[in-house]
Amino acid sequence: MRPDRGHRQLAVLLAPYLVGLIVLVLAPFAVTLALAFTEYDLIRPPRWTGTANLTALTADPIFRTALVNSLVFGAVAVPLRLLAALGLALLLHRRAPGTSTARTASVLPTAVPEIAYGLLWLWLLNPLYGPISQVLRLGGTNGLTVFGRTPPQWLTDPADARAAIVLMSLFTIGEMFVILLAARRALPPDVYELAALEDATAWDVLRRITLPLIAPVLGLLLIRDAIGSLQFSFVPALVVTDGGPPPYATTYIPLFAYRNAFEYLRYGYAAAATLVMLLLTVAAVALQWRLLRRYGRFHSQ
Amino acid sequence: MTTLRKLAALLLCALLAGAAGACADGGGDDTDAAGPVRLLVFGAPEELAAYRTLVDAYGKARPGRPVQLVEASDRKDLIARLATSVAGGAPPELFLMNYRFYGQFAVKDAIEPLDERIAASTVIDPADYYPVAMDAFRWQGRQLCLPQNVSSLAVYYNRTLFEKYGVALPKAGWTWNDLLTTATAMTRDARGGIIRGTESEGAAQRPAVHGVGIEPSIIRLAPFVWSNGGEIVDDPARPTRLTLDGPAAREALKNLVDLRLAYGVVPTDEEVESEDDESRFANGRLAMLLSSRRSTTTFRSITGFEWDVAPLPVYRQQVGVLHSDAYCMTRGGSNKPAAWNFLEYAISAEGQRIIAATGRTVPSHIGVSTSPDFLGPAQPPRSAKVFLDAIPTVRALPAVSTWPEIEDVTGGILENALYRGDRLDDVIRELDEQTRPLFARGEYPQ
Repeated sequence: MRPDRGHRQLAVLLAPYLVGLIVLVLAPFAVTLALAFTEYDLIRPPRWTGTANLTALTADPIFRTALVNSLVFGAVAVPLRLLAALGLALLLHRRAPGTSTARTASVLPTAVPEIAYGLLWLWLLNPLYGPISQVLRLGGTNGLTVFGRTPPQWLTDPADARAAIVLMSLFTIGEMFVILLAARRALPPDVYELAALEDATAWDVLRRITLPLIAPVLGLLLIRDAIGSLQFSFVPALVVTDGGPPPYATTYIPLFAYRNAFEYLRYGYAAAATLVMLLLTVAAVALQWRLLRRYGRFHSQ
Repeated sequence: MTTLRKLAALLLCALLAGAAGACADGGGDDTDAAGPVRLLVFGAPEELAAYRTLVDAYGKARPGRPVQLVEASDRKDLIARLATSVAGGAPPELFLMNYRFYGQFAVKDAIEPLDERIAASTVIDPADYYPVAMDAFRWQGRQLCLPQNVSSLAVYYNRTLFEKYGVALPKAGWTWNDLLTTATAMTRDARGGIIRGTESEGAAQRPAVHGVGIEPSIIRLAPFVWSNGGEIVDDPARPTRLTLDGPAAREALKNLVDLRLAYGVVPTDEEVESEDDESRFANGRLAMLLSSRRSTTTFRSITGFEWDVAPLPVYRQQVGVLHSDAYCMTRGGSNKPAAWNFLEYAISAEGQRIIAATGRTVPSHIGVSTSPDFLGPAQPPRSAKVFLDAIPTVRALPAVSTWPEIEDVTGGILENALYRGDRLDDVIRELDEQTRPLFARGEYPQ
């Protein structure tokens, strides 16, 4: 095949993706960026207001709460999700009875549509009739746990509600699990055989062989999940906790932006909040990128 | 290269076709274009069934004029759908909205004024409708929407349960103290004994039946503040702040939160999250519920007990709060004459009789509201006249474009006051501080 023909074929194959990227991602992004500096209510034409929206955001206590909630969620959920996916991948990478079923079960929640997944958790977390609370009350009396404590108030206590959103996110790790499973299975078996001959403990194998070899994949997934974490809190917060319990315990930036844009018709203000979210994402990725490069240089020396 | 050119041509065609479609949709002229009239509504399944009945009846009465019901999941979904469709240039021709929320569309000139059409109509005479409902949808001197109902807050009660425990039924003229005494007498454990709901927190037994259910919101609080001689805002025409710090308003607010904190006659937040008040009432676990006519369609499916309605309890004077929804026509809708035909039918005596029979509305048409179609004893509530008796005393909440935000903000603060026991001074201060900027940003009908 001649090189120019190959390039042409590549361009044709890439074209649908590029068109999608431009029309569905880059163009809306550019519009959102521009609208962040306007007052726009979706109905009347936008009016240029400069940085007024960004200034107003800094004085908005609800936005500040949403910002802190988003950062805390990312800081807690991302490492836990990565840890859970890694744990499952290491546990299920060998061929053994039941592993296929376990792998399918690990991936399945990711395949459930988000709204259906949220509604399912709404039932699971029901304070009185939900199965999680029922199980926690087993062995206890008068609605208390066996340790004499009140079970978590998933939908009415701010801290417990935040924990519930993190808990929900821990089961949608199918994609990460599949990638880590493939990465683990691709590791050379002779390294592990050598470690076995050296009587290395399981902890040594994990620390000195598996983790360093799998680190580039982990790094990539960490960055990817950090970007996603600012977004995938939206549906659970909308469907399960409705941004509450008050005051705004599970209102994250995407929900804040959604409400302002589509319920209060403050599209320009919501665009400014989205812009802040994007800047945060860029900052988080840049920070992780620096750390990973430093880690890479350290190990290559 | 040919392939690339073909691909580019295909994309261009697709974009042009899309643009042409958008242009055609966004016309919004007064021609009777083809296609059904889209009516955007939301509600419980029983309410949606009521609108389907109306649409079906219209289809039979005016064949060849299709109306398509567009069902939103809730009020917020309806607002989101309406705003995005208006922005996209293809809004539904009609939508149904409460007077508390239409202001944000009215101020943006997204609603078609109906004065000329009303004046030319041979079916609609404004004098046939309750003025309080008509006035709620007047914006800067123009009639923007036409009300389908003129409801107010009432007390739904489980008559069977009251008779079982031998407690006196709620009746006209009863006071807040009577409500409290009744609710306390109706808060029962599983064996039927009276218990204090406050002891249900922690290790003690939960009530099997709670005395009363009330949502912690400004629309539920307002009639009691007014009844006690207070005001919820400083200027009903152009409010700049909430005035719940006045003695009368403060007393009404304190009495409301005491229902949970001091007497435990309303369910806890945990219980409400597990089963909302409407379901709790329908399942026989709530003796009384403060709600509008909207609940009637749902409660008509109750078969296990008899229920009825009573007027709101009184502090100093009988005052109610207006609950009214209206049909509004979008300015950018593509089929306005057909939309007006349906609107005219839905609002006329004929249309209101049909929807009243489903239980959904207290008709805004005076003649229909006093007819057997609404007052007939065939279906509960037996005391439907309670809703009509309240009309002369109902007051509307302030019309301000930022009201949806104000309700959301105050809802969270009042929820914490009722369930978490936040200090009353802090609650009142927070309500004031957090809503002032929203009033300042709002626009008004006059």
